[in-house]
Amino acid sequence: MKLVGENMNVMSKTLGPAMRERDAGPIRKMAENIASKNVDFIDINLGPARKQGAEMMEWVVKTVNEVTDIPLFLDTSNVEAMEAGLKVVKRDKGKPVINSVSARPERMEALFPLAKTYEAGVVALLLGVDGIPRDENERGILWSELMVKCTEFELAPQDVYVDPIVLPVNTQQNQVQGCTNFMMMFRDIAPGYSSTCGLSNISNGAPEHLRPILNQTYSVILNHLGMESAIVDAFDADLTAFARGGKAEIRDLILKAVNGEDIDTASLSKDMLDYVKTAKLLLGQSLYSDSWLEL
Amino acid sequence: MAFETPKINYSGKIREVKLGKSKNVSVGGESAYPLYLFEGENPNPPKIAMEVFDLAPEEWADAVIAPFKDVAGDPVAWAKLNVEQHGADMIALYLVSTDPNDKNMDAAQAAETAKKVAQAVDVPVIVYGTGSEEKDAEVLAKVAEACEGLNVIIGPVQEAGHKKIGAPCIGYKHTVSANTPIDVNLAKQLNILLGNLGVNADNIIIDPTTGGLGYGIEYTYSVIERIRMAALTQQDAQLQQPIISVLGREVWKCKEAKMGAEDEKYGDPTKRGILMEAVSAVSMIISGADIVVLRHPETVKLIKQYLKAFFN
Repeated sequence: MKLVGENMNVMSKTLGPAMRERDAGPIRKMAENIASKNVDFIDINLGPARKQGAEMMEWVVKTVNEVTDIPLFLDTSNVEAMEAGLKVVKRDKGKPVINSVSARPERMEALFPLAKTYEAGVVALLLGVDGIPRDENERGILWSELMVKCTEFELAPQDVYVDPIVLPVNTQQNQVQGCTNFMMMFRDIAPGYSSTCGLSNISNGAPEHLRPILNQTYSVILNHLGMESAIVDAFDADLTAFARGGKAEIRDLILKAVNGEDIDTASLSKDMLDYVKTAKLLLGQSLYSDSWLEL
Repeated sequence: MAFETPKINYSGKIREVKLGKSKNVSVGGESAYPLYLFEGENPNPPKIAMEVFDLAPEEWADAVIAPFKDVAGDPVAWAKLNVEQHGADMIALYLVSTDPNDKNMDAAQAAETAKKVAQAVDVPVIVYGTGSEEKDAEVLAKVAEACEGLNVIIGPVQEAGHKKIGAPCIGYKHTVSANTPIDVNLAKQLNILLGNLGVNADNIIIDPTTGGLGYGIEYTYSVIERIRMAALTQQDAQLQQPIISVLGREVWKCKEAKMGAEDEKYGDPTKRGILMEAVSAVSMIISGADIVVLRHPETVKLIKQYLKAFFN
């Protein structure tokens, strides 16, 4: 699975002020750190970027490109800032990707032309005028709306990264099934298209020390169902190991749970058992509580 | 092919919790969804607890203070009236005198009141603090001590203060009412934490927080429903507890229940409040409540009639 490092984010207490004050030091340092972690893309998340968004995006992209030519995901809801980034971003190692375009007419009309003009990829976010879809079927409807527009703007399928929207398991456990079930149909309803997701959202709100096991386990499940990339914490070495095909024993165990096979839990180490419990939680077979690993 | 009635596949059962000083009242024990008597057992029909305040209520609607005007301010007499005249299965004593934002009265005195009430009636007694983390820790610990041997139900025990109240409940052998803010995952988590503390699962009931009619009761309905689904069909051992719906105070504090007869289209103020309370109670029983806490004697009559249609 390809990895998009999510750590270049304006919400960070050190990076946010550095971006606003155009202090290149912390930005460069973070870019170098992420680049050293074996990621395929770096996500530059500026959020809404309402004030001087275009200038900020241009500057951050240039600053990051000074230290790495890993391709970038440009992540902002400000269309002007998006275009400013696309104009200057390096593309030696691959196309930049617009993150993201929801199934709202004004977003599609504004951003798909930019993808065409600047030969960029796009994240097609399954979010509609009515907000977050409630299940896999509503995700399917939103995908059909997005696909029609992608075709209209002649975007190449492999450049469109479908994002089914990962939601937190602690408060919206049923919605996790919506995302998982959508991925089960993904290969049939979006042949040739790419896919990605904001993986860390699965563990948003869960106890901090338990976030990695949720992220890792869900990455294995989604990857198995055809998810090709994920926007992730670049510094989770175990997650990277899973994405690169490592930890085969644990992966097999998680997939046994996905396939509903019997698992002899008595013979498992604590570590292995934790992954089984987490898989069952993510598959909706047990109800979430912060202490799920203690049960 | 002959028609086959669809049937839920139950894999779990609700624990039976014995309440009261002589442990003669049981709640829970269901092996099927609420009132699904055609699919499984419900050995213990839902119980009605009636409210008693430890001080004379100051802001109650006329319609609901009228039946209690001779006993308001005397919690023991009030509790006896509820049991002897109105047929309450249980008493729910609110220690409103201890509210830190109001009278903020002494914990020891409130605990003494709780003891007197619990001694005066044969039915199980629920003792509730005001929901203030700090004050409840003090008040309910004293209640636990004063009521030793009386097996009262103490609450609300919330996640933040669960150790300070849970520990004396273990020590003095009481039942814990575990209260969480209308959320199935948090309800499960609190039961796990209480278990870790050493509270026996046979001494826990779930208070999932009840929203008033028109003020969020539908959220409570869904959460109770979800708790029962997890307990009965997903073998979720942490949620296999009886449920209490504390609804009387939620109904009677809302604007529509407190209004008088000034606006004709709202109808008769007494009937209005009673019907609001009755509709709420029926909703909570349908969703899975084992205990409903009610205020007005007429509501109690209506709910008893309703339950008769299902049981005996």
